[in-house]
Amino acid sequence: MKKFIKWIFSGWMLILFFVGFFLFWEYSIPLFDIPRYILPSPSEIVSKGSADLDKLVYYTGVTALETVLGYIIALILGLGFGIAISFSSILRRTLYPFFVSIEMTPKIAFAPLFISWFGFGLMPKVIIVVLVCFFPIVLNAILAFNSLSNELTLFYQSTGASRLKTFFSIRLPAALPQCFVGFKYAAINATVGATIAEFIGSDKGLGFYISIVTGNMRPDLAFAGIFFLTVLGLTVFGFVTMMEKILIPWHISMKRINK
Amino acid sequence: MKNFIEVTELKKVFGNGEDEVHAFGPATININSGEFVSVLGPSGCGKSTLMLMVAGLLDSTSGKVEFENKLVNGPKTDIGIMFQDNTLVPWRTVKGNIELQLELRGLNLKDYQEQINNILKSVNLEDFADRFPNELSGGMQQRAAFCQAMIHDPKIILLDEPLGKLDAMTREKIRADFQKLWMVKKPTVIFVTHSIEEAVQLSNRVILITPRPGIIDREIKIDLPYPRDLKVKRSPKFTEYVNSIQEVFHKYGVI
Ligand SMILES: Nc1ncnc2c1ncn2[C@@H]1O[C@H](COP(=O)(O)OP(=O)(O)O)[C@@H](O)[C@H]1O
Ligand SMILES: [Mg+2]
Repeated sequence: MKKFIKWIFSGWMLILFFVGFFLFWEYSIPLFDIPRYILPSPSEIVSKGSADLDKLVYYTGVTALETVLGYIIALILGLGFGIAISFSSILRRTLYPFFVSIEMTPKIAFAPLFISWFGFGLMPKVIIVVLVCFFPIVLNAILAFNSLSNELTLFYQSTGASRLKTFFSIRLPAALPQCFVGFKYAAINATVGATIAEFIGSDKGLGFYISIVTGNMRPDLAFAGIFFLTVLGLTVFGFVTMMEKILIPWHISMKRINK
Repeated sequence: MKNFIEVTELKKVFGNGEDEVHAFGPATININSGEFVSVLGPSGCGKSTLMLMVAGLLDSTSGKVEFENKLVNGPKTDIGIMFQDNTLVPWRTVKGNIELQLELRGLNLKDYQEQINNILKSVNLEDFADRFPNELSGGMQQRAAFCQAMIHDPKIILLDEPLGKLDAMTREKIRADFQKLWMVKKPTVIFVTHSIEEAVQLSNRVILITPRPGIIDREIKIDLPYPRDLKVKRSPKFTEYVNSIQEVFHKYGVI
């Protein structure tokens, strides 16, 4: 009960903060005489943005498709390579250092190249999203599958269980918390990757929209686009967090108790 | 006649060249069936190394381990084993963790439901079957780990300081519980510890290991009646055993 009150209270604090923030924004524009082509007021963003709603919703769908498609492909590849590298000493000595060294280069720098190779369509954006999501997933997966405690390793060895059984009964569940660190990191990267890819070369999507309207001196519409991007980003991240709660509830509750 | 467990000239050296660490041995140990043997020595003397080699979980540098004349050359699967850090997994309940042992061994869970209830009762955990490990105290976790290690009813039990991380009071209690269980089933036990009292209280025989590289200093037969309750522990004979062992380790500058 106490917790509940605390929660409601902290919720209210947050809402109050946002209300205050937007009120301040709204009224400081006439107060400080800020020209609207520099910074529009929230009410103007809403009214002008809603006139463009159809386009915004459609473009959100476009960007969401790139984001989700790229994320899922990165998830499959990242987990696949992560597990393969964890279990093969040859791959660990070849692919792993290769991945670690690529991790150092900012992947987004490849974006213009991909656009020039593959054109303006869906594919180059998906590839870029895959690229920015793959590394956090694969590197965390390798860490996850290599950090089983010594005792648990000895324990399953002493049972004579097959590798497959051990994998599904012990290795995989034990690795999931660390894997999710990568999944969440990648979820944040995903929308960023899609947006920047659209900045560089595209004819639809929220990134495209924001760069066009900014060029037309319409910051009100740019903010409307940013709002939709934020919603998209939060949705993707929220979904991954929800999956974490569903798949490893024991981990969440453990964190809570340890606090 | 051959002994039940025979450890012959067993030795372990980790690494090679500059990084070489002579961890244990060579040592020869014979253990009878149903015997409770403690391996006692200071930290770092190679007790865990010895136990892992006996369990077939670690290759020896030289020497051999035999169970009933059969050479150990891979993980032995017909034993029960417990470590200082328990092997409970956080995503399963106490009962689920016990079942993990059965599942990994390909045993039928249905056949074991009664045994699971019984073993949980024997360590007073029957009300905690559906709790997760992180909801239990350290002592309760070790009890649960004990159930996990014993549910397949092994005739040979290897314990590597399973009570090492517990407070003195909890240790005392679990020790007593464990002695009771041993007296009923009479498995062969190798118990690794660095507590002199614990070794004297539980064992038929205590093997004293020197500081690293551990070799056997001597073996002491403990001639006290079971169950070794408080009364036995207060007897002069008990104290005599403890004192004589203390003297040995004092000689090595360990205590
Ligand atoms: N895998 C290993 N590699 C290198 N040295 C090891 C390894 N395992 C143990 N040792 C060393 O062997 C010695 C004995 O270790 P251990 O058997 O764990 O001692 P104890 O269990 O008696 O405390 C220690 O000096 C330790 O550092
Ligand atoms: Mg040890």
